Amino acid sequence: MAEIVGGFLVPHDPVMFVAPDAPPAEQAQAVWQAYETCAQRLVEMDASTVIIIGNDHYMLFGTTCLPQYCIATGHTEGPLDQLPGLKKQEIPNNEDLARFISAQGKTCGFDWSEARSFTTDHAFSIPYQLIVKRASEIKGETIQAIPIYIASAVDPFISKERCIELGRHLHEAIQAYPGAEKVALIGSGGISHWVGTKESGRVNSEFDRQIIDYCCAMNVADLAQLSDEYVLENGGNGAMEIRNFICAMQAVNGSKGHLIEYQPVPQWVTGLGFIELSVQ
Amino acid sequence: MKRDVLERILWNLSVDRFSKSKFKEDPQKFLSRFPLEAEDIDMILSFDVKKMQEMGVNPMLTMGYWIEMSPDRRMSSYNQKLGSEAQYSASIKG
Repeated sequence: MAEIVGGFLVPHDPVMFVAPDAPPAEQAQAVWQAYETCAQRLVEMDASTVIIIGNDHYMLFGTTCLPQYCIATGHTEGPLDQLPGLKKQEIPNNEDLARFISAQGKTCGFDWSEARSFTTDHAFSIPYQLIVKRASEIKGETIQAIPIYIASAVDPFISKERCIELGRHLHEAIQAYPGAEKVALIGSGGISHWVGTKESGRVNSEFDRQIIDYCCAMNVADLAQLSDEYVLENGGNGAMEIRNFICAMQAVNGSKGHLIEYQPVPQWVTGLGFIELSVQ
Repeated sequence: MKRDVLERILWNLSVDRFSKSKFKEDPQKFLSRFPLEAEDIDMILSFDVKKMQEMGVNPMLTMGYWIEMSPDRRMSSYNQKLGSEAQYSASIKG
């Protein structure tokens, strides 16, 4: 039977790649090092597959179809939005586990949209490259990765209550999988950030700390109680990505979160938090 | 409905090579495929991203459209167009 071994909540900030030298060097280094710490911890967890829960940025899914939640069950590559230092590559998807999760969903009220041949965007590919692929290099063996995309940045947004239910379903489906996988989950998202709006560059540390406190306490219920109006006002349109955190936290269903790093970086337009989710 | 059509156009102009090519070739002809009024066409051709956002268009699309299609393509100009004094921008393209 498969086992959930832990998880992480980490950002996926493309500006890090576009303008790596924009923030003070010490702050930039702290962020890059946080990814490295996550990679090291992933090796220590001995994970064989990582499920990364992210969101489209209105480039993968267009107006003709906007899925609430989607899982890549086949060939996977990415990212579509290549960046300096983040080039398109093949992703070793765990297709069998992904198809199992989707099939399990149909037995309990979760009709997954399936991506049979998928190209990711940076929401998946940044944590994949900096954590999963890096951990594979350290470990000396391939760690597979499954992309899950939920509607956190393009309306109609998935409800936060549904994110909890989806996370619970993921937890049960992984545990029911007959293969001997050790599975980690990553909730991929920034905390406060305003994307493409006139407030771009604003970072709200007070809001960020509030979210971090909920995550470290594994307080999914109170995190999900924050209204969209409150999140948009205090964390920006990018902070709607806390849905990815909610889903990942519920899927791990761990005992506590541990803050690895937090950096408010206006030059990278985001409050960047790194939290490890422990199952013990 | 207007917002939805605008989002469809901007999505095409952000990610679809064929649409981008046709728009560059003859923007009026490209836009004639869609149910738009004259003022909507003016808004698109003048890259009035502020007005588009006021109509509810997703800011990621206005930004993607600006980066891909505007004559300038610089995020500093995009911010000016929005009426923002922001120093930093969430450019999602390299």
